[in-house]
Amino acid sequence: MIYFPQLSSGATGQFPIRRQRVARTVVNQSCQNYEVKLADPGAAMTAWHLSFEEMSDQELAALEALFQATEGSLTPFTFLDPADNLLAWSQQQNQAVWQADPLLALTSALADPLGGTGAYQVTNPTAATLMLQQSINAPASLEYCLSLFVCSNQCTQVWLVRGSENDARAIGPEWTRQISSGQLQSTADSISFGIALDPGSTVDIFGLQVEAQTAASLYKETAETGGVYPNARFRDDALTITTVGPSRHSCELDIVNVEYL
Amino acid sequence: MFPTLKTGAVMQYPAKRTMQFNTDVIRFLDGTEQRFREYPAVLHRWTIQLDLLDEAELTTLDQFFLTNQGRFGTFAFTDPWDGTVYPNCSLQGDAFGFQLRGEMRGKTTLTVLENRT
Repeated sequence: MIYFPQLSSGATGQFPIRRQRVARTVVNQSCQNYEVKLADPGAAMTAWHLSFEEMSDQELAALEALFQATEGSLTPFTFLDPADNLLAWSQQQNQAVWQADPLLALTSALADPLGGTGAYQVTNPTAATLMLQQSINAPASLEYCLSLFVCSNQCTQVWLVRGSENDARAIGPEWTRQISSGQLQSTADSISFGIALDPGSTVDIFGLQVEAQTAASLYKETAETGGVYPNARFRDDALTITTVGPSRHSCELDIVNVEYL
Repeated sequence: MFPTLKTGAVMQYPAKRTMQFNTDVIRFLDGTEQRFREYPAVLHRWTIQLDLLDEAELTTLDQFFLTNQGRFGTFAFTDPWDGTVYPNCSLQGDAFGFQLRGEMRGKTTLTVLENRT
Protein backbone atom coordinates (compact mmCIF):
# COMPACT_ATOMS: atom_id res chain seq x y z
CA MET A 1 0.00 0.00 0.00
CA ILE A 2 1.27 3.45 -0.93
CA TYR A 3 0.37 5.98 1.73
CA PHE A 4 1.14 9.52 2.75
CA PRO A 5 3.86 9.49 5.42
CA GLN A 6 3.66 10.88 8.91
CA LEU A 7 6.13 13.43 10.21
CA SER A 8 8.50 12.37 12.99
CA SER A 9 6.03 13.97 15.43
CA GLY A 10 3.43 11.44 14.29
CA ALA A 11 1.33 14.12 12.60
CA THR A 12 0.18 14.00 8.99
CA GLY A 13 -0.01 17.74 8.55
CA GLN A 14 1.00 21.06 10.03
CA PHE A 15 -1.09 24.17 10.58
CA PRO A 16 -2.42 25.88 8.58
CA ILE A 17 -4.43 23.19 6.80
CA ARG A 18 -6.97 24.00 4.14
CA ARG A 19 -9.60 21.53 2.99
CA GLN A 20 -12.26 22.01 0.36
CA ARG A 21 -15.21 19.83 -0.59
CA VAL A 22 -16.62 20.22 -4.08
CA ALA A 23 -19.94 18.76 -5.18
CA ARG A 24 -21.60 18.93 -8.59
CA THR A 25 -25.20 19.92 -9.08
CA VAL A 26 -26.90 20.27 -12.45
CA VAL A 27 -29.32 23.20 -12.27
CA ASN A 28 -32.07 24.19 -14.66
CA GLN A 29 -33.12 27.73 -13.74
CA SER A 30 -36.10 29.69 -15.00
CA CYS A 31 -36.10 33.47 -15.37
CA GLN A 32 -38.32 33.69 -12.28
CA ASN A 33 -35.65 31.80 -10.36
CA TYR A 34 -37.52 28.53 -10.08
CA GLU A 35 -34.94 25.75 -10.15
CA VAL A 36 -34.82 22.07 -10.94
CA LYS A 37 -31.72 20.46 -9.46
CA LEU A 38 -30.03 17.14 -10.01
CA ALA A 39 -27.21 15.96 -7.77
CA ASP A 40 -24.17 14.21 -9.24
CA PRO A 41 -22.54 12.57 -6.21
CA GLY A 42 -20.04 10.68 -8.35
CA ALA A 43 -18.33 13.92 -9.30
CA ALA A 44 -17.57 14.94 -5.71
CA MET A 45 -14.02 15.96 -4.88
CA THR A 46 -12.10 16.70 -1.70
CA ALA A 47 -8.91 18.74 -1.82
CA TRP A 48 -6.29 19.66 0.78
CA HIS A 49 -3.60 22.30 0.74
CA LEU A 50 -0.80 21.34 3.10
CA SER A 51 2.14 23.45 4.19
CA PHE A 52 5.20 21.90 5.80
CA GLU A 53 7.91 23.89 7.58
CA GLU A 54 11.16 22.80 9.21
CA MET A 55 11.06 19.27 7.85
CA SER A 56 14.05 17.11 8.62
CA ASP A 57 16.04 15.19 6.01
CA GLN A 58 14.22 11.98 6.93
CA GLU A 59 10.80 13.58 6.70
CA LEU A 60 11.64 15.11 3.34
CA ALA A 61 13.01 11.81 2.08
CA ALA A 62 9.75 10.06 2.94
CA LEU A 63 7.73 12.70 1.14
CA GLU A 64 9.98 12.60 -1.92
CA ALA A 65 9.85 8.80 -1.95
CA LEU A 66 6.05 8.97 -2.05
CA PHE A 67 6.11 11.55 -4.83
CA GLN A 68 8.46 9.36 -6.87
CA ALA A 69 6.46 6.21 -6.17
CA THR A 70 3.24 7.85 -7.33
CA GLU A 71 5.00 9.57 -10.26
CA GLY A 72 3.38 12.83 -9.35
CA SER A 73 -0.34 12.84 -10.03
CA LEU A 74 -0.34 9.54 -11.92
CA THR A 75 -0.90 6.97 -9.16
CA PRO A 76 -3.27 7.14 -6.19
CA PHE A 77 -2.24 6.67 -2.59
CA THR A 78 -3.94 6.43 0.78
CA PHE A 79 -4.28 9.74 2.59
CA LEU A 80 -5.43 10.08 6.18
CA ASP A 81 -7.13 13.43 6.66
CA PRO A 82 -5.29 15.29 9.44
CA ALA A 83 -8.43 17.30 10.17
CA ASP A 84 -10.92 14.49 10.49
CA ASN A 85 -11.98 11.43 12.43
CA LEU A 86 -10.85 8.30 10.57
CA LEU A 87 -13.82 6.24 11.74
CA ALA A 88 -17.08 6.23 9.80
CA TRP A 89 -20.45 6.51 11.57
CA SER A 90 -18.75 7.60 14.77
CA GLN A 91 -22.08 8.02 16.56
CA GLN A 92 -23.98 5.13 15.04
CA GLN A 93 -22.51 1.89 16.30
CA ASN A 94 -25.45 -0.02 14.79
CA GLN A 95 -24.18 0.64 11.25
CA ALA A 96 -22.63 -2.19 9.26
CA VAL A 97 -19.12 -0.73 9.44
CA TRP A 98 -19.07 -1.59 13.14
CA GLN A 99 -18.38 -5.23 13.87
CA ALA A 100 -19.94 -6.29 17.14
CA ASP A 101 -19.27 -9.76 18.46
CA PRO A 102 -22.37 -11.98 18.64
CA LEU A 103 -24.46 -11.49 21.79
CA LEU A 104 -22.99 -8.03 22.45
CA ALA A 105 -26.05 -5.87 23.19
CA LEU A 106 -26.24 -2.25 22.00
CA THR A 107 -28.77 0.33 23.20
CA SER A 108 -28.85 3.68 21.39
CA ALA A 109 -30.05 7.25 21.98
CA LEU A 110 -28.72 7.72 25.49
CA ALA A 111 -27.62 11.06 26.92
CA ASP A 112 -24.07 11.90 25.88
CA PRO A 113 -21.47 14.16 27.53
CA LEU A 114 -21.90 16.89 24.90
CA GLY A 115 -25.55 17.43 25.74
CA GLY A 116 -27.06 15.30 22.99
CA THR A 117 -28.46 11.81 22.83
CA GLY A 118 -25.76 10.09 20.78
CA ALA A 119 -24.39 7.72 23.39
CA TYR A 120 -24.69 3.94 23.27
CA GLN A 121 -24.88 1.44 26.07
CA VAL A 122 -22.90 -1.71 25.38
CA THR A 123 -23.54 -4.83 27.41
CA ASN A 124 -21.64 -8.07 27.45
CA PRO A 125 -23.98 -10.72 28.94
CA THR A 126 -21.64 -13.63 28.19
CA ALA A 127 -18.78 -15.25 30.07
CA ALA A 128 -16.23 -14.26 27.43
CA THR A 129 -14.65 -10.94 26.45
CA LEU A 130 -16.55 -9.36 23.55
CA MET A 131 -15.50 -6.61 21.19
CA LEU A 132 -17.04 -3.76 19.22
CA GLN A 133 -14.68 -2.51 16.55
CA GLN A 134 -14.30 -0.94 13.15
CA SER A 135 -11.60 -1.72 10.62
CA ILE A 136 -10.10 1.01 8.44
CA ASN A 137 -8.08 0.49 5.29
CA ALA A 138 -4.94 2.26 6.39
CA PRO A 139 -1.41 1.06 7.15
CA ALA A 140 -1.16 -0.48 10.61
CA SER A 141 2.40 0.76 10.99
CA LEU A 142 1.44 4.42 11.49
CA GLU A 143 0.96 6.24 14.76
CA TYR A 144 -2.71 6.32 15.79
CA CYS A 145 -4.70 7.77 18.62
CA LEU A 146 -8.00 6.19 19.65
CA SER A 147 -10.24 8.22 21.93
CA LEU A 148 -13.75 7.91 23.27
CA PHE A 149 -15.99 9.09 26.08
CA VAL A 150 -16.97 6.31 28.42
CA CYS A 151 -18.69 5.78 31.77
CA SER A 152 -20.25 2.94 33.70
CA ASN A 153 -22.09 2.34 36.94
CA GLN A 154 -21.47 -1.38 36.81
CA CYS A 155 -17.84 -2.02 35.98
CA THR A 156 -14.49 -0.41 36.59
CA GLN A 157 -12.59 -0.92 33.39
CA VAL A 158 -12.86 -1.03 29.62
CA TRP A 159 -10.35 -2.21 27.04
CA LEU A 160 -9.36 0.14 24.23
CA VAL A 161 -8.53 -1.91 21.14
CA ARG A 162 -5.96 -0.49 18.74
CA GLY A 163 -4.99 -3.21 16.30
CA SER A 164 -3.29 -5.96 18.26
CA GLU A 165 -2.91 -3.71 21.32
CA ASN A 166 -5.50 -3.79 24.10
CA ASP A 167 -5.18 -1.10 26.75
CA ALA A 168 -7.20 -1.36 29.96
CA ARG A 169 -8.62 1.94 31.23
CA ALA A 170 -10.24 2.51 34.61
CA ILE A 171 -13.69 4.07 34.37
CA GLY A 172 -16.37 5.28 36.76
CA PRO A 173 -19.91 6.66 36.73
CA GLU A 174 -18.79 10.05 35.34
CA TRP A 175 -18.05 10.56 31.65
CA THR A 176 -14.30 10.62 30.99
CA ARG A 177 -12.40 10.71 27.74
CA GLN A 178 -10.10 7.72 27.45
CA ILE A 179 -7.19 7.68 25.03
CA SER A 180 -4.93 5.00 23.64
CA SER A 181 -2.17 5.95 21.24
CA GLY A 182 0.97 4.48 19.80
CA GLN A 183 2.52 2.72 16.87
CA LEU A 184 2.33 -0.98 16.04
CA GLN A 185 5.04 -3.16 14.56
CA SER A 186 2.83 -4.38 11.77
CA THR A 187 2.86 -4.21 8.00
CA ALA A 188 -0.84 -4.92 7.56
CA ASP A 189 -2.90 -2.76 5.20
CA SER A 190 -5.79 -2.42 7.62
CA ILE A 191 -6.22 -1.89 11.32
CA SER A 192 -9.15 -2.21 13.71
CA PHE A 193 -10.16 0.11 16.52
CA GLY A 194 -12.82 -0.25 19.17
CA ILE A 195 -13.50 -1.49 22.66
CA ALA A 196 -13.54 -4.84 24.44
CA LEU A 197 -15.75 -5.59 27.42
CA ASP A 198 -15.03 -8.00 30.22
CA PRO A 199 -17.66 -10.71 30.88
CA GLY A 200 -20.83 -9.35 32.43
CA SER A 201 -19.90 -5.69 32.10
CA THR A 202 -21.95 -2.74 30.82
CA VAL A 203 -20.54 0.60 29.66
CA ASP A 204 -21.88 3.75 28.04
CA ILE A 205 -19.78 4.98 25.12
CA PHE A 206 -19.79 8.07 22.94
CA GLY A 207 -17.60 9.81 20.41
CA LEU A 208 -15.23 7.15 19.19
CA GLN A 209 -12.48 8.83 17.25
CA VAL A 210 -9.28 7.72 15.57
CA GLU A 211 -6.65 10.12 14.32
CA ALA A 212 -3.30 9.50 12.68
CA GLN A 213 -1.39 11.40 15.33
CA THR A 214 -0.11 10.96 18.87
CA ALA A 215 -2.76 12.86 20.83
CA ALA A 216 -6.51 13.33 20.58
CA SER A 217 -8.07 16.51 19.28
CA LEU A 218 -11.64 17.66 19.78
CA TYR A 219 -14.22 15.02 18.90
CA LYS A 220 -15.51 15.18 15.32
CA GLU A 221 -18.69 13.38 14.35
CA THR A 222 -18.62 11.49 11.06
CA ALA A 223 -21.28 9.89 8.87
CA GLU A 224 -20.84 7.34 6.09
CA THR A 225 -17.27 8.32 5.32
CA GLY A 226 -14.43 8.82 7.74
CA GLY A 227 -11.16 10.55 7.06
CA VAL A 228 -9.52 7.71 5.12
CA TYR A 229 -9.08 8.48 1.42
CA PRO A 230 -7.68 5.48 -0.50
CA ASN A 231 -7.87 7.21 -3.87
CA ALA A 232 -5.95 10.41 -3.14
CA ARG A 233 -3.45 11.88 -5.56
CA PHE A 234 -1.03 14.74 -5.79
CA ARG A 235 -2.80 17.47 -7.72
CA ASP A 236 0.40 18.53 -9.48
CA ASP A 237 3.24 16.76 -11.22
CA ALA A 238 5.85 19.01 -9.59
CA LEU A 239 7.04 19.08 -6.00
CA THR A 240 9.11 22.10 -5.03
CA ILE A 241 11.24 21.96 -1.90
CA THR A 242 12.85 24.99 -0.24
CA THR A 243 15.85 24.31 1.96
CA VAL A 244 16.99 27.07 4.32
CA GLY A 245 19.64 25.11 6.19
CA PRO A 246 20.83 21.64 7.11
CA SER A 247 17.78 19.42 7.68
CA ARG A 248 15.47 22.43 7.40
CA HIS A 249 13.14 21.95 4.47
CA SER A 250 9.75 23.35 3.61
CA CYS A 251 7.20 22.74 0.91
CA GLU A 252 3.58 23.23 0.00
CA LEU A 253 1.50 20.65 -1.77
CA ASP A 254 -2.03 19.98 -2.91
CA ILE A 255 -3.78 16.63 -2.60
CA VAL A 256 -7.08 15.74 -4.24
CA ASN A 257 -9.38 12.79 -3.77
CA VAL A 258 -11.71 12.17 -6.69
CA GLU A 259 -13.72 8.97 -6.61
CA TYR A 260 -14.47 8.81 -10.33
CA LEU A 261 -10.82 8.62 -11.41
CA MET B 1 -32.09 23.04 9.92
CA PHE B 2 -28.91 24.98 9.36
CA PRO B 3 -26.43 24.11 12.15
CA THR B 4 -25.70 26.56 14.93
CA LEU B 5 -22.39 27.23 16.62
CA LYS B 6 -21.72 26.07 20.17
CA THR B 7 -22.84 29.48 21.39
CA GLY B 8 -26.22 28.90 19.74
CA ALA B 9 -25.53 31.60 17.14
CA VAL B 10 -25.77 31.07 13.40
CA MET B 11 -23.63 33.96 12.22
CA GLN B 12 -20.76 36.12 13.41
CA TYR B 13 -20.00 39.76 12.65
CA PRO B 14 -19.57 40.99 9.96
CA ALA B 15 -22.86 39.48 8.84
CA LYS B 16 -24.36 40.17 5.44
CA ARG B 17 -27.96 39.83 4.32
CA THR B 18 -29.10 40.56 0.78
CA MET B 19 -32.60 41.01 -0.60
CA GLN B 20 -32.85 40.33 -4.30
CA PHE B 21 -35.47 41.46 -6.83
CA ASN B 22 -35.21 41.09 -10.55
CA THR B 23 -36.72 43.77 -12.74
CA ASP B 24 -36.85 43.64 -16.52
CA VAL B 25 -36.59 47.10 -18.08
CA ILE B 26 -37.51 47.96 -21.67
CA ARG B 27 -36.37 51.41 -22.76
CA PHE B 28 -37.90 53.16 -25.75
CA LEU B 29 -36.43 55.70 -28.16
CA ASP B 30 -38.25 58.59 -26.52
CA GLY B 31 -36.67 57.77 -23.18
CA THR B 32 -39.72 56.24 -21.60
CA GLU B 33 -39.52 52.75 -20.20
CA GLN B 34 -41.64 49.87 -19.05
CA ARG B 35 -40.68 47.75 -16.12
CA PHE B 36 -41.71 44.17 -15.43
CA ARG B 37 -41.41 42.21 -12.25
CA GLU B 38 -39.48 38.99 -13.00
CA TYR B 39 -39.57 37.58 -9.51
CA PRO B 40 -42.94 37.06 -7.89
CA ALA B 41 -41.40 37.99 -4.51
CA VAL B 42 -38.12 39.01 -2.95
CA LEU B 43 -35.43 36.40 -2.39
CA HIS B 44 -33.03 36.53 0.54
CA ARG B 45 -29.39 35.60 0.72
CA TRP B 46 -27.15 35.40 3.80
CA THR B 47 -23.36 35.40 3.69
CA ILE B 48 -22.09 33.65 6.81
CA GLN B 49 -18.48 34.39 7.66
CA LEU B 50 -17.21 32.34 10.58
CA ASP B 51 -13.90 32.58 12.39
CA LEU B 52 -12.27 31.01 15.46
CA LEU B 53 -14.33 27.85 15.10
CA ASP B 54 -13.23 24.67 16.80
CA GLU B 55 -12.84 21.41 14.92
CA ALA B 56 -16.21 20.09 16.04
CA GLU B 57 -18.03 23.15 14.71
CA LEU B 58 -16.17 22.87 11.40
CA THR B 59 -17.03 19.19 11.19
CA THR B 60 -20.70 19.94 11.80
CA LEU B 61 -20.70 22.41 8.89
CA ASP B 62 -18.74 19.95 6.75
CA GLN B 63 -21.25 17.19 7.44
CA PHE B 64 -24.07 19.61 6.69
CA PHE B 65 -22.49 20.34 3.29
CA LEU B 66 -22.06 16.62 2.57
CA THR B 67 -25.61 15.84 3.64
CA ASN B 68 -26.95 18.53 1.33
CA GLN B 69 -24.64 17.48 -1.52
CA GLY B 70 -23.64 21.08 -2.07
CA ARG B 71 -26.41 23.28 -3.43
CA PHE B 72 -28.67 20.31 -4.19
CA GLY B 73 -30.32 19.90 -0.80
CA THR B 74 -32.83 22.17 0.88
CA PHE B 75 -33.21 23.12 4.51
CA ALA B 76 -34.89 25.63 6.79
CA PHE B 77 -32.93 28.72 7.76
CA THR B 78 -33.80 31.10 10.58
CA ASP B 79 -32.92 34.70 9.79
CA PRO B 80 -30.88 35.84 12.82
CA TRP B 81 -32.00 39.44 12.29
CA ASP B 82 -35.69 38.89 12.89
CA GLY B 83 -36.17 35.19 13.67
CA THR B 84 -38.16 34.52 10.52
CA VAL B 85 -37.89 30.91 9.41
CA TYR B 86 -37.36 30.44 5.67
CA PRO B 87 -38.30 26.81 5.08
CA ASN B 88 -36.85 26.38 1.59
CA CYS B 89 -33.20 27.41 1.41
CA SER B 90 -30.05 25.96 -0.16
CA LEU B 91 -26.36 26.55 -0.06
CA GLN B 92 -25.33 28.85 -2.86
CA GLY B 93 -22.36 26.90 -4.14
CA ASP B 94 -21.09 23.41 -4.74
CA ALA B 95 -17.87 24.05 -2.80
CA PHE B 96 -17.19 24.25 0.92
CA GLY B 97 -13.72 24.94 2.23
CA PHE B 98 -12.15 25.84 5.53
CA GLN B 99 -8.78 26.85 6.83
CA LEU B 100 -7.48 25.51 10.12
CA ARG B 101 -4.75 27.86 11.37
CA GLY B 102 -4.34 26.07 14.68
CA GLU B 103 -6.34 24.29 17.32
CA MET B 104 -9.79 25.90 17.61
CA ARG B 105 -8.84 28.44 14.95
CA GLY B 106 -10.93 27.42 11.96
CA LYS B 107 -12.28 29.84 9.40
CA THR B 108 -14.89 29.39 6.70
CA THR B 109 -17.59 31.15 4.71
CA LEU B 110 -20.98 29.86 3.59
CA THR B 111 -23.73 31.52 1.61
CA VAL B 112 -27.36 30.51 2.07
CA LEU B 113 -29.94 31.26 -0.61
CA GLU B 114 -33.69 31.31 -0.28
CA ASN B 115 -35.27 29.20 -3.02
CA ARG B 116 -38.35 30.12 -4.95
CA THR B 117 -41.21 28.06 -3.58
